[in-house]
Amino acid sequence: MLFGEEGQERLKKAHIFIAGAGGLGSPVSLYLAVAGIGTITIADLDVVDQTNLNRQILHTDRDIGKKKTVSAEEKLTAINPDITIHAIDTRIDESNAARLIGNADGIVDAMDNYPARYLLNNIAIHNTIPLFHGAIRGFYGQATTIIPGKTPCLKCIFPKAPPKEVFPVVGVTAGVIGTVQATDVIKFILGSGDLLTNRLFIWDGLAGRADEIHAERMACCPACGGTNPEKGGKKK
Amino acid sequence: MTVKVRFFARFRELLGTDIPADPMDGATLLSLVRDLAQGKKDGYDAIFDEHGNFHEFVIVMRNGKRVEHEDAGAVRVADGDEIAVFPPVAGG
Repeated sequence: MLFGEEGQERLKKAHIFIAGAGGLGSPVSLYLAVAGIGTITIADLDVVDQTNLNRQILHTDRDIGKKKTVSAEEKLTAINPDITIHAIDTRIDESNAARLIGNADGIVDAMDNYPARYLLNNIAIHNTIPLFHGAIRGFYGQATTIIPGKTPCLKCIFPKAPPKEVFPVVGVTAGVIGTVQATDVIKFILGSGDLLTNRLFIWDGLAGRADEIHAERMACCPACGGTNPEKGGKKK
Repeated sequence: MTVKVRFFARFRELLGTDIPADPMDGATLLSLVRDLAQGKKDGYDAIFDEHGNFHEFVIVMRNGKRVEHEDAGAVRVADGDEIAVFPPVAGG
């Protein structure tokens, strides 16, 4: 067996918070649901729009105009009625992020902007919760897994946010990166395999090629303190 | 001297990737990437600001180690170096 009853039991006891029910949140939530993650909290404020449907496979044409959280809860419950879904219709911000995430075993970054990602990063560091980062653009994507206190945090790897832009994404890129993130969540819960820690996985769908870049902690990271946690770290 | 410059994501679309370069002795990391991007305005503008410095969000690595922007004009490239230049991908 792949991971046996004990592994399945671990998955059932796990609680994963997914920030976003869009392009990345769709494959992440679907695959974590069918893997049997016992509790999934998924948060999003948006309403399903027709332009989402090329990549947000959690939602269908019939869902246009519906809250993404409502649509997400319906699909995830239908695909696995034996798990608990908390779908929260809200924008994740500084006032609610820590409360929404609570004592989850992992945070999945399925956001579409860096300010929100940095917020998740701060909560992950403060509460020592792993953060599974993913991001996509066109045929390109990236992913890394952050274990607070042990690996570079998101701010160590990307200290400055890129300018905002609206750029199309082909749905398969969300599929590739979302399943890479979900794979690392499952491995983390099971305690098996090698996580995407200390490295950035980079996918180039046009070239059909995956690369990875070594990632290091920043000496004095303003978020995690890096290799000098006493100089700016936010850990407890 | 031969070095390899690897652009990623949007930079790759604009400038190509795995570009072998034969820089002059004394070339710095900044001058090398500038020279490669010169002539492709969109690519150059995506990486450099109006002063010819890396945009603050651009990640520059040399042989797997991050190079801070303020050092890029002083770090000299050496034979066999592999330079990676990439932007944070943002969408979700």
